[in-house]
Amino acid sequence: MAWVIKTNGLSKTYKDVQALRSLDLEVPTNSIFGFLGPNGAGKTTAIKLMLGLIRPSSGSGSVFGKDIRCDSVAIRSRIGYLPQDPRFYEHMTARQILDFTARFYFKGPQDEIDKRVAETLELVGLSEKADRAISGFSGGERQRLGIGQAQVNYPDLLILDEPAASLDPLGRRDVLEVMERLRKHTTVFYCTHILDDVQRVSDTVAILDKGVLVAQGPIEELLNSGEGVVYKVMIKGDGRDSMKRISSLSWVNGVNSSQRNGMSNWAVSVNDQDTAEQELLRQLLLDESVVVTDFRRNEYELEDFFFNIVEGTGNDNRK
Amino acid sequence: MTTGNDVFEMQTGSGWQRGLNNLLSAEFGRWFKTKMWWIQILVWTGLINVFLLFMAVADTGMPGPELLMIFNIFLGLFGAVGVCIIMQGTVVGEKSSGTAAWVLSKPASRPAFLLAKLLANSVGIAVTIILVQGLIAYLIITLSTEISMRPLAYLGGLGVHFANYFFYITLTLMLGTLFSHRAPVIGIPLVFLFMQQMILGIVPKLVFVFPWTLTVPINEEQFPSIAVALMTGTDPYTYIPLAATFCASVVFTAVALWAFNRQEF
Repeated sequence: MAWVIKTNGLSKTYKDVQALRSLDLEVPTNSIFGFLGPNGAGKTTAIKLMLGLIRPSSGSGSVFGKDIRCDSVAIRSRIGYLPQDPRFYEHMTARQILDFTARFYFKGPQDEIDKRVAETLELVGLSEKADRAISGFSGGERQRLGIGQAQVNYPDLLILDEPAASLDPLGRRDVLEVMERLRKHTTVFYCTHILDDVQRVSDTVAILDKGVLVAQGPIEELLNSGEGVVYKVMIKGDGRDSMKRISSLSWVNGVNSSQRNGMSNWAVSVNDQDTAEQELLRQLLLDESVVVTDFRRNEYELEDFFFNIVEGTGNDNRK
Repeated sequence: MTTGNDVFEMQTGSGWQRGLNNLLSAEFGRWFKTKMWWIQILVWTGLINVFLLFMAVADTGMPGPELLMIFNIFLGLFGAVGVCIIMQGTVVGEKSSGTAAWVLSKPASRPAFLLAKLLANSVGIAVTIILVQGLIAYLIITLSTEISMRPLAYLGGLGVHFANYFFYITLTLMLGTLFSHRAPVIGIPLVFLFMQQMILGIVPKLVFVFPWTLTVPINEEQFPSIAVALMTGTDPYTYIPLAATFCASVVFTAVALWAFNRQEF
């Protein structure tokens, strides 16, 4: 398999905090690669290392086979990048920002650059605001412009850091469509917290937690990696004792709980489906202080996998 | 090669010039395609030449050499303060706003980023503060007094002002790469600017190293302003401060390039 990004023990330390610990990442060509992890996991640090914006403390990495320490400009000439919080020159218009960005890649001809800029404005839905100074743009419009400037050069690798942040549902859908459209020609490497999106468009994911890579591989492979079946349970009442009891059962991998409208939503991950089918509901009903309002078997989803793996790792990012 | 880009002539190379033309164009655009150029001209005309005109047409009618000296002092001191104010945010502002990280995520070299700022701001400052104000002052002084100045000699004097400004441009640029906050970037050059006279009172020999006498006299007899001497066609007392200022500017630029290359965004 051909890799666009490959890192070997890549690490970054800021004073006494290890932001990234020995990252061994492999991003296949023409994949849509979801780079996941909670806030502060080290995702943006990893991206900045690939772009040459920061230097590694140890380890090595390559993008398109070029060294990230020595060939940074050559690497960036084939990349499009959307930062997490895109900032542009406020005195410029959207059209000028795209023209300015395009000129880092293209010398000319000017009419073709103008065409590409117009096409990009259309793609991100900013044609009508193309000639307004961006100082008046909303967060969503800036995000759209950010996506536009990241792909104006039709990059071989598109790196998107939280591309759907600040977008309404329609904008989010558009971004996913753009990503799917680009898949044929481009490798898309993107960070997000929206796991539904990742499951919808990505083929490969990596999960980073506290600077450590805790999982990596094709989504289907990860979901079938033996974590078993998940049951979704909705209960009313104080379920802490029940949760403790159920978590301790030998055929239960773990229980994740979240609260919504005074109800507790549990995701019970099990490793023995037959036993769970017979016993789980019975076990829940043993506690008379709780009312089970919903109980169903769920397909194991990326979200479940993510919570299991992140909550199961006890990494400490202090040296 | 990137698919779909066959119609374009691609930028190539990965040396220090990569992105320079584009960055220069953007920086010049910031000066001359926005309101900035005429706002600067208005501000400096108000600060320097309106006052000069008032002194020239007042009842007492100041003599030409005195008007010329006052113009040079105003241009040398007020202008240098203005340069520090204009330059203070060029690097630090972009570092803190995140635009530097955005630009440097494109195929642009770090030296190109810094040199574009240095060149465009130097030209912007030279045009709006030195050339325009110099031209207005030339007209005011020559039309209201008996003094005659050869245009080329006068231009040479304005060149000395540019050397003085370039010292502060490169100093603030360097400080912008070394610090993350605006306070030291503007504070250090301003403290240096106004402490020079006091330091020269204690160690007069430093007059040959400091840029002060390029535009402002210390003692009219002993160390007259080099810019005024050139404008009036007389020999300056020495060219050493000019050479020292130039050398300092080169050192500041080299340190800025070195420090910016090591910066993390």
